[in-house]
Amino acid sequence: MEEIRYKRQIQLNEVGEPGQKKIKNARVLVVGSGGLGCPILMYLTGAGIGKIGIMDPDIVTLSNLQRQILFTEKDIGKNKAICAQKHLKKMNSKIKLKAFPIKLTHENATKHFYEFDIIVDGTDNFYSRYLISDQCILQNKIMVYGAIQKFEGQISVFNYRNGPSYRCLFPTPPKVGEIPNCQDIGVLGVAPGIIGILQATEIIKVILDLDGILTGKLFVLDLLNHKNSILDFKKNQKEIDKIISQGKTIPIENNDCDINIEISLNQIHLKEEIVWIDVREIDELPRLTQLSPLKKPISINSLKKSRNKIIAFCQTGLRSKSFIKMIKDQGIRNCFSLKEGAEQLYNWVLKN
Amino acid sequence: MEIKLRYYGQLQEATGKSEEIISKHFSTIGQLNDYLMKSYPKLENHNYKIAQNNIIESYNNPLIGNRIDLLPPFSGG
Repeated sequence: MEEIRYKRQIQLNEVGEPGQKKIKNARVLVVGSGGLGCPILMYLTGAGIGKIGIMDPDIVTLSNLQRQILFTEKDIGKNKAICAQKHLKKMNSKIKLKAFPIKLTHENATKHFYEFDIIVDGTDNFYSRYLISDQCILQNKIMVYGAIQKFEGQISVFNYRNGPSYRCLFPTPPKVGEIPNCQDIGVLGVAPGIIGILQATEIIKVILDLDGILTGKLFVLDLLNHKNSILDFKKNQKEIDKIISQGKTIPIENNDCDINIEISLNQIHLKEEIVWIDVREIDELPRLTQLSPLKKPISINSLKKSRNKIIAFCQTGLRSKSFIKMIKDQGIRNCFSLKEGAEQLYNWVLKN
Repeated sequence: MEIKLRYYGQLQEATGKSEEIISKHFSTIGQLNDYLMKSYPKLENHNYKIAQNNIIESYNNPLIGNRIDLLPPFSGG
């Protein structure tokens, strides 16, 4: 059966039976199953990569469906990694698909990267990208990078056979707000699709040891006028040694993965006119009656009319974050998820 | 010398163009960059790499190429 399933690629001299065996033995972790991650995951699954990890803490929202082609309307509100795993399983039940419905952190990266040989950057923020790059250096993993900006995209393969890393290319992380995200500037669905498929191509080439891998090379595409370039860049040993000598990843200051969504107690004043939302169940303690928060069910229309800052909270800051993502998607502005939990909020109110 | 400049990503907004040709002489890539920063002050807020003839090089390198790319990192996924 396997022979029939993969017949079309086994026919290629570059693959053959030995190549298919390499594909079957490959272990690839895709961080982020959004615009880039979806097409990457679909082609890796189709090709028969033996073990695929899917990591994403986010939920599917309606505005994702325009480009995140693995998901359906029924997935809205559910975790992306879990949904992706479910759909991919239907495409190929013979491979190992492991879902990680969590955020990649400086604390958990070592443990999760350990199970894989190739780490794929399908994220949409610099904080995670530098983390993946550093961790790949420390654990000697290959990083397959892709990113987009409107109609343009970049692809490269880092840390391949002692080759350069992302920090060799961009040693200075961008400042907060320097580079806007797709959420803020818009993106055509096909753009991450094309870049993601090019990443998947590089992943398969790496597994098969083929020539022409984009190591020390940055492929830059412009989908509007098709003026594409391949730019060469060198390894910067100083950047790599910096990570190795510290023996750990170096967090960049620009934590842009949460910047527009989360707010901390030290960033707000009790005197501010704030619309508080308690997204917890009615029996969860402590109650924050002093703030007279809105409770579930919450009318989106009434939030649309609000001119004040909206802050949602829950027990740990997780459910409130999902809630804020959901209402942002429905056009609510000036809304944030409280980083701290209800207990800390309770103490903060007492103190103020 | 005629230099063909190409701006990627956010730099297109900072300069207001995606390409241009200038006729000027610079001895290093850094000198060309100083000139561009003066012409487009908004470039100062950006972090980018410069490639000449498709090779990303340091600012100290002599400017010999006639094709220059200014490349910022991209974020989106």
